[in-house]
Amino acid sequence: MHTSRFKLSVVHAFLAVLCFLNVLPLVWMVISSFKSENEFAVNPMGWPKLWDFSNYANAWKVAHLGTYFWNSLYVTVLAILLTVLLGALASYFISRFDYKFTKWAYALFIIGMTIPIHATLVPIFILMKKIGLLNTHMSLVLPYTAFHLSITIFILVGFMKSFPKDIEESAIIDGAGVYRIFWSIILPMTRPALATVIIINFIYNWNEFLFALVLINKEPLKTLPLGLANFTGTETKFQTMQMAALAMALAPVLAFYLLLEKQLVQGMTAGAVKG
Amino acid sequence: MHVLKRTGWTVFIGMLPALVIYIGIALVPIGMSFYYSFFNWDGLSPMRYIGLDNFTSTLKDSVFWKGVGNNLIMMATGLLGQLPLGLFFALMLNRGLRGIKAYRSMLFLPVVISAVIVSIIWGMVFKIENGMLNGLLELVGLGSWQQDWLGNPKLGMLSISVAYIWQNYGFYMVIFLAALQNISAEIKEAAVMDGATGWKQFWYVTLPMLKETIWVTLVFAISNSFRVFDLIYVMTAGGPAHNTEVMTIYMYNNAFQNMSFGGGSAVSMLILVFSLIAIYAANLLTRRSQ
Repeated sequence: MHTSRFKLSVVHAFLAVLCFLNVLPLVWMVISSFKSENEFAVNPMGWPKLWDFSNYANAWKVAHLGTYFWNSLYVTVLAILLTVLLGALASYFISRFDYKFTKWAYALFIIGMTIPIHATLVPIFILMKKIGLLNTHMSLVLPYTAFHLSITIFILVGFMKSFPKDIEESAIIDGAGVYRIFWSIILPMTRPALATVIIINFIYNWNEFLFALVLINKEPLKTLPLGLANFTGTETKFQTMQMAALAMALAPVLAFYLLLEKQLVQGMTAGAVKG
Repeated sequence: MHVLKRTGWTVFIGMLPALVIYIGIALVPIGMSFYYSFFNWDGLSPMRYIGLDNFTSTLKDSVFWKGVGNNLIMMATGLLGQLPLGLFFALMLNRGLRGIKAYRSMLFLPVVISAVIVSIIWGMVFKIENGMLNGLLELVGLGSWQQDWLGNPKLGMLSISVAYIWQNYGFYMVIFLAALQNISAEIKEAAVMDGATGWKQFWYVTLPMLKETIWVTLVFAISNSFRVFDLIYVMTAGGPAHNTEVMTIYMYNNAFQNMSFGGGSAVSMLILVFSLIAIYAANLLTRRSQ
């Protein structure tokens, strides 16, 4: 069955218009970020008469973007390392060892995907206060790790289960221990799934707001979303500078997305889509 | 066999760190929230047991019910806006189209942007002065429609709904697209042989085959609608005059602005109960129609 050429071009035109409308708010923001505040006030729509880059330099300084970037990166990377390392180890035991205990643990981890974090906010705040972690990077690293272990283990177990049964046998005969097998055989084979897991953990941790809002209130420790929300809430006069700040905050995620789209989409929709 | 026994311990110890962090920081707090919800407590002075008072005072508060109503609007937005739009784009893209990848990338893009950035951008779109929406209306000669989109009590939630749809429909599109691509070509050919084309094919062949996927997306859309926080908190903080407040914002204000940890915990338990009821109701409805 062939759709006629005319019909196809109508579909293309239609989709192109909708896609354009979809990204219009982003395009408008980026274009406006090159206008001076005065020009934006007079001419909020069209092209800038003069492409002015000063908003970017100013925003970087005034909004403390450097500090926020660094905090986000630090917290994100540390949480990813912890989540993926502990998650992979747990997934290995869950997928390759047939104990009752491992089955229970798996079920327990899977439940986590349905927990609304709001129901844990007050106790986590109190816990962090009690153990003296409030207003430290670790107060974010720990919840990020705890809440993303579920999806991480879900994806990794699914992948590790597909390895043939006898994969460890010769290693055992050669005298390799359980951890040796994990480190030298299973982990290298899991690389594609590890990539997916790292990518979705990056997006989730990098974008997280609610925990940061509750657990961090010191300016030098704020993450990018928290810092931005704060900055745009106070500097309401300087809209084009805000737009420049947003554009800079958006850039790494955008690059990340365009480079690794396939694995990101796979990871984010894992569980909802079979196969 | 003692080798197996030793492995058993190794397995247990290997899983311990993940389990400790997960149980300690994700599971135990739910139980603690439940416990706190029976106390009057500001986090500093001693806890005072007050039974169900936190629940009754919350359920008597009209602001809380305003939040419940707005959560229902978010739910309707998800079910009537995000899901159909996601399905629509999935159907549009599910053909031998050139450039499908570019279209899909652009439509999915908002899903990966942080909700904070989404809401700041949409806050600027809806702004009364120099906002993009008002600017567009001016351009097409509908200047008289210009207004304060988020501040208007009648339009506030509607405006937020638009941003919410924009943020998430791409997620459902991708799920539907994957499901559509799993429907084999033979089934479609057989349907065409039987004379089912266009709408008929969609209604009698495609849709029934998507049943399972639709159920999954329903649950996602419902539970996500009860979790909305960042988007509204950054755009309007629930204002003006609680007009755009949802339960999570009510909970946050209660717990961390008014320092009522017991009250906030009670609200978080109510959120949990409400979303479970909604999912259960959806389950009943879809079962009945099958």
